[in-house]
Amino acid sequence: MKLFLHILRYKYRSFLNATFDLRSVPMIRGFASLLVFGTFAFGAYFFGHSITAYVLDQTRTGLYLYHRFISMMLFVFFVAVNMGNIIVSYSTLYRSAEVAYFMTKPIPHVTVFLHKFLDNFFYSSTTLFLVAFAVIVGYGTYFDYPWYFYGGTLLFVVIPFMFLAALVAVLVLMAVMKLAGKYGFRTVMGGLFVLYFGFVVAFFRSSNPVRLIERVNRFYPNVDEYLSQLDPGFLSYLPSHWVSEYLFFLARGEVERGLSSAALLLVTVVALFVIVMFLASKFYYRSWLVSLAIQASASAPYDPHKLGLVDFRADGWLKGKFEALVKREYLMFVREPSQLIHLVVMVVLAGLFVLSIGNLNLRLRVTEIQLLTYLVLYAFGGFLVSSVALRFVFPAVSLEGMSFWVVRSAPVRPEYLVALKFVLGFILVFGLSLVVSLASNLPFARFSGRMPLLPWFGAFSAWWMSMAVVSLNLGLGGFFAVYAEKNPIRIASTQGATLTFLATIVFLFVLVVIVLYPLSRYFEFLFIFRPFERSLVILPGTLFGMLSAAVVGVSLSLAVRSVKRDL
Amino acid sequence: MIELHNVTKTFGTFTAVDDLSLTVPGGELFGFLGPNGAGKTTTIKIIAGLFSPTRGVVRVNGHDVVAEPLKAKSTIAYIPDQPFLYEKLTGREFLYFVGGLYSLPKEHLHRRVGEMIEHFEIGQWVDKKAEDYSQGMRQRISIAAGLIHEPKTLIIDEPMVGLDPRSAKIVRETLRQQADRGVSILMSTHSLPMAEELCDRIGIIHRGKLVYCDSREGVRAFEASLDGKLESVFLELTR
Repeated sequence: MKLFLHILRYKYRSFLNATFDLRSVPMIRGFASLLVFGTFAFGAYFFGHSITAYVLDQTRTGLYLYHRFISMMLFVFFVAVNMGNIIVSYSTLYRSAEVAYFMTKPIPHVTVFLHKFLDNFFYSSTTLFLVAFAVIVGYGTYFDYPWYFYGGTLLFVVIPFMFLAALVAVLVLMAVMKLAGKYGFRTVMGGLFVLYFGFVVAFFRSSNPVRLIERVNRFYPNVDEYLSQLDPGFLSYLPSHWVSEYLFFLARGEVERGLSSAALLLVTVVALFVIVMFLASKFYYRSWLVSLAIQASASAPYDPHKLGLVDFRADGWLKGKFEALVKREYLMFVREPSQLIHLVVMVVLAGLFVLSIGNLNLRLRVTEIQLLTYLVLYAFGGFLVSSVALRFVFPAVSLEGMSFWVVRSAPVRPEYLVALKFVLGFILVFGLSLVVSLASNLPFARFSGRMPLLPWFGAFSAWWMSMAVVSLNLGLGGFFAVYAEKNPIRIASTQGATLTFLATIVFLFVLVVIVLYPLSRYFEFLFIFRPFERSLVILPGTLFGMLSAAVVGVSLSLAVRSVKRDL
Repeated sequence: MIELHNVTKTFGTFTAVDDLSLTVPGGELFGFLGPNGAGKTTTIKIIAGLFSPTRGVVRVNGHDVVAEPLKAKSTIAYIPDQPFLYEKLTGREFLYFVGGLYSLPKEHLHRRVGEMIEHFEIGQWVDKKAEDYSQGMRQRISIAAGLIHEPKTLIIDEPMVGLDPRSAKIVRETLRQQADRGVSILMSTHSLPMAEELCDRIGIIHRGKLVYCDSREGVRAFEASLDGKLESVFLELTR
């Protein structure tokens, strides 16, 4: 314990030095961060409050159904935090130079483990705490909860919930490392992926939000009383359900039942923490040695006589600098396991979404419900674009890394490098975005026979949104570049990345505001046959395009300036 | 040829390079000495285009590095003190990558890569990923990559760091060969014996200013006026 506190003290000191830099530029940057975080927190608060008010008052959805939705969202959140932690923990616990250094010192392995685990958890989850707290405040103010509800919920429900996801992540990771020693890393990771995929599919088969909407639509407007039949038994064993139960019972005024759900969560967290610490004291060092063996076994030389699929030696239609840079980007991407795994996860998520909404069959001809459903799908598309861009485009400049001297000292124009990175990022993001966007419009296509505007709007917004979000991430990724960091996941979790994500969300929100009026008029045209003039879309469409183009211009010039900076 | 005219580089209130003027003609190997923090690496980075000068003009082979960066860079090879490579690429891939940045035709590039692998004796591990290389291996790959496009000017920062005696000998011989072929070389080093043995001219920078610059013969005469050691000259001038 003494050693743990000793290390913590110096880490804390280092953190303070890095955070509270009193020079003018970092101060201005810090102030700007505070402003963006504050704005975003307010946005999250507003979202939490207005969505609660809208769902409970406007759509007359009952408390029970609303909390079922919350439970599903929390499940997705839990899986996302959990998977994110598995991937990031691998770097933190097994590939960090700091761990290798600590292992040469007389420090108990479990102390090293605890440090890195907490380091990882707080490093990657701080923004999520903020967002979750702001949403909780928004949610709570609808019910007029007293002040202690918010602090208590954050400390005893939200943080433990996320902590549980992180605990499960390291537990899975240690098991993976242990099994990898026996069966090989790739086999075990493949098995784990199949297992997770199966679990998520099983969850949504028994608790599918799309099916829920369909059933609810069938029973509208008296939906709450029909919902007990939808409750699958195994949900009650999931932490996401405990949190939603806690909120549900508090909302109904049954405080004791609510607190008992929170207590169940806390007891589970404490029990799992003890188990994880026990297992770490037994297996962490051994699994760390396994990770070293895995890394060593991956270092066999390539066969110089065999041409790879993408090989610098091969002659093709790519030439010169373009060939060199494109092939480098490709090889560095596919040889970094975390990049590939994350891309597959994103594609699978998008695929699941597309499959789900492809079957959406909205029976209810109520404009508000249809518009809300459409906006939720649209928001998901925007969120996907932002997440993919943050994860793959934001780190693009930073990943030039300490080797940036190679390109910077070669005859390569900075504009050329930025343009290439932009195009590569755009192809990835636009591809996904277009698929998701068109799929989101499919369920509504059958209503729009007279004027099929939505698919065009989907393609239009996918194009501009992808252009703007990719360039925003490239520009701010360059501005906040961390060349010393090799891990793309950690780059995508830095403060700069968080700010970029928040800025992207704000930008997307503005886009939604721009299109809200013509969209709502169009939905009225579809469902209550109010007249709709095509000219209604011209001004918002122009504004949408111009704003996006302005973001593209400013961001790309920022990216070029950033890669020209002194190295 | 490298020409620096009244070059100054400041970082905030700190002046790293102060009104430095220097010329290194083709075929000369110039040794750039100085204590830690004297401004050697900053000067080298300005010539390589990694830093922009606050004031002054830098020309390489007749091209201003600020006004015509691409023309200047296409004739330069820069080899940094810390040879960071792309960890996920093999040494061979790295050589091809750098050749591609200089738009070398594929056939020519195949030949040059083969020559470099042979010259630097790196065939045994050139197909492993750089993340498995030692400092010396990285340094050899980095120098080989620098020479792949047959530059007219070589700017090399601390070339001997991490090299084993055999690799150090290869590098020394390579630098001499390049200078004899007419390449202008500016080499920063802390190794006084190496500078004395290899360089045609030696300059000493201290607190951003060039405090001494003379030919090998001139340096020897100066040494003789003290106790016959370059170390004494260095310590005297950088006190």
